[in-house]
Amino acid sequence: MGSAHADLYPSRPPPPQPEIIPLKILVAGGFGVGKTTFVGSVSEITPLTTEEVMTSESVGVDDTTAVPDKTTTTVAMDFGRITVDEQLILYLFGTPGQHRFWFMWDELARGAVGAVVLVDLRRIDDCFAAVDYFESRRIPFVVGVNGFPGTAVFANDTVRDALALPTDCPLVRMDAREPRSCLDTLIALVEHALGRSTAA
Amino acid sequence: MTPDRANTPPGDDRVVPVYAFTRGRTRSAGRDLPLEAVVTAAKANTRQGALLQSESLAIVTMCSRPLSLAEIGAALRVPVGVARVLVGDLVNAGYLVAHLPQHTTHAGGPTQAILGRLLDGLRAR
Repeated sequence: MGSAHADLYPSRPPPPQPEIIPLKILVAGGFGVGKTTFVGSVSEITPLTTEEVMTSESVGVDDTTAVPDKTTTTVAMDFGRITVDEQLILYLFGTPGQHRFWFMWDELARGAVGAVVLVDLRRIDDCFAAVDYFESRRIPFVVGVNGFPGTAVFANDTVRDALALPTDCPLVRMDAREPRSCLDTLIALVEHALGRSTAA
Repeated sequence: MTPDRANTPPGDDRVVPVYAFTRGRTRSAGRDLPLEAVVTAAKANTRQGALLQSESLAIVTMCSRPLSLAEIGAALRVPVGVARVLVGDLVNAGYLVAHLPQHTTHAGGPTQAILGRLLDGLRAR
């Protein structure tokens, strides 16, 4: 059946299966900050939702001494896809927004190019967990200030101070509804990640 | 995806617990594939697909083009954990070829060369 299909295109014999390299970028930030919008703006597929069971060692908060010290939680994530070239496929995952899941991002973050942390300046506190997480794990990230209408104007330095951003962490003004703006944000992230890997 | 399921709204139409597809297993005999692992159908095995259960056959069919574990889970409307077990079995049985992320830097991220290509690709869009 497979060979019959190939015979329909004799002038273009199927090449040996190319080595496909999947890549991922995380899109993080507080609830309602525009993660899903961002993913939808740049994805070539309609953003999909998936459920993943995440596991974490218990941190000893709950009295679960009678049960094994692992907790599992099912979290829903939005994701999209950009086929970069014939080998590279980039996936964008919107991380679960709930703060209490921050310690479960390790599985998701493993091997990632980096992260985009979206910020709504009206609720700047919401992104602290994400900024702390990626900084402490030395995962490259950029902060994308999503330009919600009616937001008071703050200078970049003010925002950087408020978030205690490392000096090398890019801060970009963007609009999650605009594909070009989201793409530029991704480019800023990859430039940053590349700079990090060169310096390392 | 079977035709009769294609037009139903997502969510609560399943009457069979999703892990029944994996015969109750939450782990595959295969490697633990990350969410973004991509699989493609192995060309030689198309004919033997008749022997597979419908979910597995659906996966092999849809993987005529590269798809990630996350996409397969979403298409079948099962948690990724279920897709991971089914896909892991299909990789082990030779129906699918797995394309795994290549981690090489000390931080576990992609190499400089890959990042450079990604950057070029994004800039060209």
